[in-house]
Amino acid sequence: MPSVIVFIPGPLRPYCAGRAELPVDADTVGEALEVLEQSQPALYRNVCDETGAVRRHLNVFVNTDNVRDLDGVRTALRQGDVVTILPAVSGG
Amino acid sequence: MAERVVLMIGTRKGVFVAESARTRRRFALRGPFGDGVPVYATLVDTRGATPRLYASNCNPFFGMKVLRSTDLGKTFTETKSAPAFPGDDGRALANIWALEAGARKRELLCGAEPAALFRSRDGGDSWELVPGISNHEHARQWQPGAGGLCMHTIIRDGRRLHIGISTGGHYLSEDDGETFTASNGGVGAGFTPDPYPVFGQCVHKIARHEAAPGRLYMQNHGGWAEWDGPGGRRPGIGVLRSDDYGRTWRSIASGLPSDFGFPIVVHPHDPDIVYVVPLEPQTRACPGGAPAVWRSENGGASWTRLSRGLPKKESFFTVQRDGMVIDDLRSPALYFGTTTGQLWIGRDGGEQWECLFDSLPPIPTVRVALV
Repeated sequence: MPSVIVFIPGPLRPYCAGRAELPVDADTVGEALEVLEQSQPALYRNVCDETGAVRRHLNVFVNTDNVRDLDGVRTALRQGDVVTILPAVSGG
Repeated sequence: MAERVVLMIGTRKGVFVAESARTRRRFALRGPFGDGVPVYATLVDTRGATPRLYASNCNPFFGMKVLRSTDLGKTFTETKSAPAFPGDDGRALANIWALEAGARKRELLCGAEPAALFRSRDGGDSWELVPGISNHEHARQWQPGAGGLCMHTIIRDGRRLHIGISTGGHYLSEDDGETFTASNGGVGAGFTPDPYPVFGQCVHKIARHEAAPGRLYMQNHGGWAEWDGPGGRRPGIGVLRSDDYGRTWRSIASGLPSDFGFPIVVHPHDPDIVYVVPLEPQTRACPGGAPAVWRSENGGASWTRLSRGLPKKESFFTVQRDGMVIDDLRSPALYFGTTTGQLWIGRDGGEQWECLFDSLPPIPTVRVALV
């Protein structure tokens, strides 16, 4: 199973003891989120809603690609990938 | 004796707290708290030795939070959790529209979007869904109004619980929230061919007075007097009164310039005195650009315009459903916040108005308490 890094944006670090990067072993983005649900439940609630969907105004990237343009949460991960969670450019 | 007047001002960019002596001459403003996130519900819980201030925090990026302050709004921290639907429910929390004190110590009630009721028994650190209304057989048929499908009104009256939903209507529980019945007799709807459906009305706000058991006032979605399609005209369906715990309602809109509006507020010492803010139904703005609060001193039989000190022209703001409150000092003051970020005080029961703050972010909600 590939080992990847999940990069946490500043506003969410208080929900994972201040850490900017979390190492995760997962085959897909969805599996990586499931790992976070178990290991960092407070962080997970900020990223996914009660239905398990990634919140509407958040984007998840694998390296430089938005998973929305790949295979969503089913996007496969490879050894050394960086999964980045970022707030979308929205609001006013 | 309570010495301070505390206002919680929920805005589109966080919550502010304003504090004054009982004279209410000057209010000191603190905030914003909550990282610039919209706040649609607040609560000043005065039941304990130390007042607790609560604010919802509708974060569009990271979801819903509940903020709590135990130092009268000098600092706020997140509670340990926020209301959330069970994982297999299929609904996801979009906003919090109401926070109210529950029947028991540390108990809180929360009205949510999509329309659902949550209860906390530990001051907001954990929450449970109240299924009697949240999973009511009508729940999946309720529809969102322009503001979303929101449960905005929670009124406790002993074992009775009144709930207001837009658009769902008024629901009454007489068994402490176990079961609920749609109680909308006489509550009109303009957006359905049936003018008086069993449920589905766009109720905007409901208010009551403890000294008048059974009496309720409702600001409903009016503005349908000229409708000429199926079901016919529906004049006066916007401002209503019930004298039987909300089972049946009758119009008290006669004499108002418009039966459309959002807030409705009852005087703290006289259940016959009630206040509304009539708005043009098409624009949701002050009629003619001249804002006014209207007061009835006889339970809705007649109305008086209160506008001394308010702009006489060129003011087209909206006062939203939780945007007006009244304190309970002997000569009470009204307060309303506007979508243009002004916070007004109406001294002597609304006889004389003054702008306390004129450049806050848009204000969905205002609460006041003596502490």
